Amino acid sequence: MNHPENLSQQGRHLLNRRHFLGTAGLSTAGLALAGLLQADGLLAKEPLTAGGKTPIRPDIDPGNPYASRKAHFEVPAQQVLVIYCPGAVSHVDTFDYKPELFKYDEQKPPGIPAVTFEGPTGNIAKPFWKFKPRGETGKMVSGLLPHLAEQVDDFCFFHALTTETSAHPQGENFMNTGFTMEGFPSFGAWVTYALGTENQELPAFVAINDPRGLARSGKNNFGNGFLPAAFQGTDFTAKNPPNNLHRPASLSPRADRRTADLLERLNAQHLEQYPGDADLAGRIASYELAGRMQTSVPDVMDLSGETQATLEAYGVEGGSELRGHYARNCLLARRLLEKGVRVVQLFNGSDPSGGNGITNWDSHSDIAKTHAMQAEIMDQPTAALIADLKQRGMLDHTLVVWATEFGRMPFLQANGTGRDHNPDAFTCFLTGAGVKRGFSYGESDEFGFKSVADKTTVYDFNATLLHLMGLDHERLTYYHNGLERRLTNVHGHVVHDVLEKHAS
Amino acid sequence: MIKKRINYGAILLGGFLLSSVSAAEKVDFEQEIAPILEEGCQFCHGEDAQESGFRLDGLAYLLKGGDSGFAAVVPGKPEQSYLLDAIRHADEAIAMPPYEDKLPQEQIDLIARWIAEGAIWPGQSVTIDSENSDHWSFQPVVRPEVPSSDKTRENPIDRFLAKKLAKEGLSFSPPADPRSLLRRVSIILTGLPPTSEELERFLKAYNQDAGAAYLAAIDRLLASPHFGERWAQHWLDVIRWAETNGSESNMYRKNAWIYRDYVVRAFNEDKPYDQFLFEQIAGDTVGQGDATGYLVAGPHVPVATVGREPSAQRQARADRMDEVLQTIGASALGLTISCARCHNHKFDPISIQDYYSMSAVFQDVEFGSRYPELAEDHPRSVRERELSQEIAGIHQQLKQWGPWQENWTGYRELHFPKTETRKIRISFEWKAVRLDEIEMFGPAEPERNFALASEGTQTVSPPEMTNYRAKLKEVNDGKYGTMAWVAKSLPGSKEKPWIEFSFPEPREIQRIRMSTNREDFLETDYLLGINNFNFGDYRVEVETLQGEWKQIAATKNFNLKNKTHPLRGKLQKELKGLIEEVGEAGVQPSFVGNFIAPVQTYVFGRGSPENPREEVFPKGLSELEGDLQLSSDAPGPQRRVAFAKWLIREEHPLTARVAANRLWHHVFGQGIVTTTSDFGAAGTEPTHPELLDWLAAELVGPTFEASRNEAQPWSMKHLIRLMVMSKAFRQSSSPTQRGLDKDADSALLWRFPPKRVEAEVIRDAILQAAGGLDRSLGGRSFRIHNVKKRYSQWEVVDNHGPETWRRMLYQERMRRVDDQMFTAFDFPDCGQVRAKRPISTTPLQALNLMNSPFVIEQANLIAERAKEFGGDKAQAVDQCFYRLLGRFPTDGERQAALELANEFDLSLVCRALINSNEFAFLP
Repeated sequence: MNHPENLSQQGRHLLNRRHFLGTAGLSTAGLALAGLLQADGLLAKEPLTAGGKTPIRPDIDPGNPYASRKAHFEVPAQQVLVIYCPGAVSHVDTFDYKPELFKYDEQKPPGIPAVTFEGPTGNIAKPFWKFKPRGETGKMVSGLLPHLAEQVDDFCFFHALTTETSAHPQGENFMNTGFTMEGFPSFGAWVTYALGTENQELPAFVAINDPRGLARSGKNNFGNGFLPAAFQGTDFTAKNPPNNLHRPASLSPRADRRTADLLERLNAQHLEQYPGDADLAGRIASYELAGRMQTSVPDVMDLSGETQATLEAYGVEGGSELRGHYARNCLLARRLLEKGVRVVQLFNGSDPSGGNGITNWDSHSDIAKTHAMQAEIMDQPTAALIADLKQRGMLDHTLVVWATEFGRMPFLQANGTGRDHNPDAFTCFLTGAGVKRGFSYGESDEFGFKSVADKTTVYDFNATLLHLMGLDHERLTYYHNGLERRLTNVHGHVVHDVLEKHAS
Repeated sequence: MIKKRINYGAILLGGFLLSSVSAAEKVDFEQEIAPILEEGCQFCHGEDAQESGFRLDGLAYLLKGGDSGFAAVVPGKPEQSYLLDAIRHADEAIAMPPYEDKLPQEQIDLIARWIAEGAIWPGQSVTIDSENSDHWSFQPVVRPEVPSSDKTRENPIDRFLAKKLAKEGLSFSPPADPRSLLRRVSIILTGLPPTSEELERFLKAYNQDAGAAYLAAIDRLLASPHFGERWAQHWLDVIRWAETNGSESNMYRKNAWIYRDYVVRAFNEDKPYDQFLFEQIAGDTVGQGDATGYLVAGPHVPVATVGREPSAQRQARADRMDEVLQTIGASALGLTISCARCHNHKFDPISIQDYYSMSAVFQDVEFGSRYPELAEDHPRSVRERELSQEIAGIHQQLKQWGPWQENWTGYRELHFPKTETRKIRISFEWKAVRLDEIEMFGPAEPERNFALASEGTQTVSPPEMTNYRAKLKEVNDGKYGTMAWVAKSLPGSKEKPWIEFSFPEPREIQRIRMSTNREDFLETDYLLGINNFNFGDYRVEVETLQGEWKQIAATKNFNLKNKTHPLRGKLQKELKGLIEEVGEAGVQPSFVGNFIAPVQTYVFGRGSPENPREEVFPKGLSELEGDLQLSSDAPGPQRRVAFAKWLIREEHPLTARVAANRLWHHVFGQGIVTTTSDFGAAGTEPTHPELLDWLAAELVGPTFEASRNEAQPWSMKHLIRLMVMSKAFRQSSSPTQRGLDKDADSALLWRFPPKRVEAEVIRDAILQAAGGLDRSLGGRSFRIHNVKKRYSQWEVVDNHGPETWRRMLYQERMRRVDDQMFTAFDFPDCGQVRAKRPISTTPLQALNLMNSPFVIEQANLIAERAKEFGGDKAQAVDQCFYRLLGRFPTDGERQAALELANEFDLSLVCRALINSNEFAFLP
């Protein structure tokens, strides 16, 4: 992967922009544009990231692409857990309390558009669950998520998030890859590319998909895009190991080992013809790593050592079958983080299958029922996971991100019982390493319809996440097809207000 | 270097303007305007800082504007001056100075007046001239002189390379051994290593005359149909071609693969590269309609899933146009033209106006399907004619038993003896029916649909049965899809739905075509619950010209008729088979784009369709004389033809260079320009500029005699032949310390650079070694996925069974779907242009190649084949090595392999060999 353009481009680019800026015809003052441009530095040699910063490309050893690498600057967060809720969680029914919705319930005040994503709009609907103050901060949270509500003193909310699309797959792409379009590397891939991982015996980046399957954007959410495949998320759950992890049932352990021995011999002999070849050595090393994973992955998936108290806290038993599966996935997430896995992305929702059963947070009809069903799965296990991380001291070095692709409308769909997509205001929260606790950033308007104060774009959000991981979102780049690509394209500002003092 | 100057039109300021405005009314720049600019703007946009590439401390800068691509000030034209948009805060995104720093209204008015009065900046007047880029790739290709050599017949490629090597104190390595050489050239040219038989033949010939043997091998490989398969794969990567949409529901694109077959055929026929490009852009005009699959190769969001907001729909259309331009830019031009979508390109001479002018070229292109225009001698046209004749023959015979019905998957077609009538009534046997369209045809003009409302035909049906949201008019509006007529019997009523058509005058009718949702038939395949017919059996009656009603067909009797007339049944079965074959091999709706009426095109400020600015006309790049002399009235095909001709002009500095470099990249593993799709200032410079230009010139006009046959202009095979015949290609890949020290990447080619082969090569080589590789060319892709529901994800169900034993090129290319095997080997997700694949090494690759059912099964097969060869176990081991690595084991290897085979099974030896570095690396 060490092609010249991936190593260094600095200083070799003449920034010869604006070809039509040639020399000017002159009057008395004689303004020669070219001269002006030289004077102002536009023609000087410059690095190529938008924003004018020098790219920092991780120094990746092809023999060990997962070696732990230094962040751009020192931060408490060493690992990151992303809990992703596909389908769009209704902010006005969960964390973004809007008393005006009660006042205008069943009315259509001016300013409500005639048509939104799915079609004509109906009247304002008050939240479907009661809000009350929680914790010492008194943050208003609805009864839909009673377990998470208990921990609001630890959370840092973004209430004025905005996105650029009202469609789920593009929205998922945007949140998770920084672009609405197909084919860009996921956040997890960027972090893995930048930082490698601490534990070489487990994948650097694990995507734990919903028990029902992949989310609407499928593999995009945890894919490597145009980054080398080494940085894609490895897809497994508490129930299903990664593909082809285990030796085939037809082979005995000894037969497997002896095959590996022969392979080692063949490769060693071959390497003699190419002494010091890093690519060949790297491939040999990858087989050793794969061998170790065959033990380390089943170990980490084995929940039998978890105490009864833990299982109960996570809600493994006693709820819906889906909650049980999701709770096990939450346990797996904690175990992976304990082992030093750099990025864990945990999904709570999949792609709608058109059946009667709900598959994610999308609630165009009967939101009271469908959001409740989805919350039953998500709330207790997620809350237990965060509490568990805290109790084990892991939040000191783990950033936790709870995210969804957009919000839902404060009004119902025409003649309906559900809320349509809202790209202009939605809520996500962070907790853990480097994050201010018990804090809310940004405000949506009195209905939760549009963001009004401290608007935060998805670019800003992702820039902040990278910052919390010690990465400058403007300098973490990869050359692809003519551009120094970034997670944040050419946008994004770190929201310093949400950073814990000593971390900013 | 040739520099041209285009005078963009002098902006004359001064005397005559002054004379037209009385001095008393005029805004005083020094007193009134300069202070505003200094205080309000120049901190961020002045001498020290130029945010957004913009400054306001000189008139020239104002006339030029910043990164947006728009003039900040157009003297005399405040409405066209971007500066005013900014300071008026007309648009939040460009509001300047920001927030509460907004200028007071009287200052804004003052600036507006100053612009209206001619934007006079005392002491400064400017004409803006244009100077062409001096970037190397925009300069004309001039065939350089080949460095001299003492050998007259020496390949020019080697002479260029040797010169540079000598400069670095390096030289070529010794020739590769013949086994490695044949393996290398076979994989490079066809994607397959040599078979055992090919290898043996080659070694024998090589011993007698090495040079002749190698030439013969090249001839054989270039003539192999597998050559086209290999090189098509490279091209499809660049344009991220796939058979699904990506995005929501990631739907399958019906018959998109006919484009893949076009590309394979083009490479195999050595279609001249200029023609290859032309046909992909405007193939519909020359009977190569399948070639336009190129234009719609990228992903897209189907209209149905964009949502109902008009702005979202406009954005989605703009995104689709951008995908088209990305394809052109990355594959043909070698430029990242998409960078100019929101503002002028930061590094290259591509203005935002250029971008939208180029998008005007493709305004008639939409992502979707059509019946491709194919020349009479196109294999599909030929097959369709043959099948039509056979079908007509069966029709003739069937007639004797009266009417019959055919199922064309998307629609049913009822055939009956022609009848002249004013009215036709269709009465359904089902109580609920759904039809998106009913069509009626006669013998005279077989494709004229007399049922259309636009033909003056009226329809009537029992109104109480028709759903208010599924109106009767849908049934003959000429539009297919979900907007359909739905009728239901009233509860308890015995009356069933019927419909009557009244023609304005008597019509001769002999066929009726009916469908429930033909859109799916046209656009997609492999989806659960599509192509259903929700109307069941029915009767057809006509009113004779004498005014009597008579029944001419009742479909429920048809099966009975087959029993009483077995020959009818037999013929219908044959007919069914023929119709199915038409669907497969004939001219069918295919996802190669559909054409719509072009609309006027505007520059979208900051890339937003909600911010249209000046109109633009279809053009190529203005930097490269891209004016096509077209207006906004030009029909779509004319635009594309003109653009394609501009692109393939011999003197186009990019087209041939980009093509030659891409071929080089795929032969030597690294381009002369390593950024193969970016020849702009952000790309890399050529390692061998003269060689690149020589190759480009040689592509356009071959001069070097490389084979017995004279090469045609733009022949890609000619150039590839030259490359693989070079000493550089034929040298060993072994490293030398000196070489590594000076040139670790082997960019100067002191050795042939080894590298891991692609996913396709690994898979195909395993299948070939096992003897199970199905070598048939082209056709529908094999699939490893389920047939999915509309809203769900594809799931791999079988990626290893015998029906998948074709070359991987034919594995359905699904966007962002993990095939659970080769995605780990950097097989692209087809979301973004992939001018070259990264090569990564991961433990998941190891797990897939050690444990997947595919490898285990194939290892067993290879072992079986080796045993079949006869001899003892040691000979069987030898066979396994030979089949997979093209060599026999060393004594030590044989001993180790035998031990494994003896203790367990020979297949484990194959499993180890498949995983070996030697198998996975190009020697």
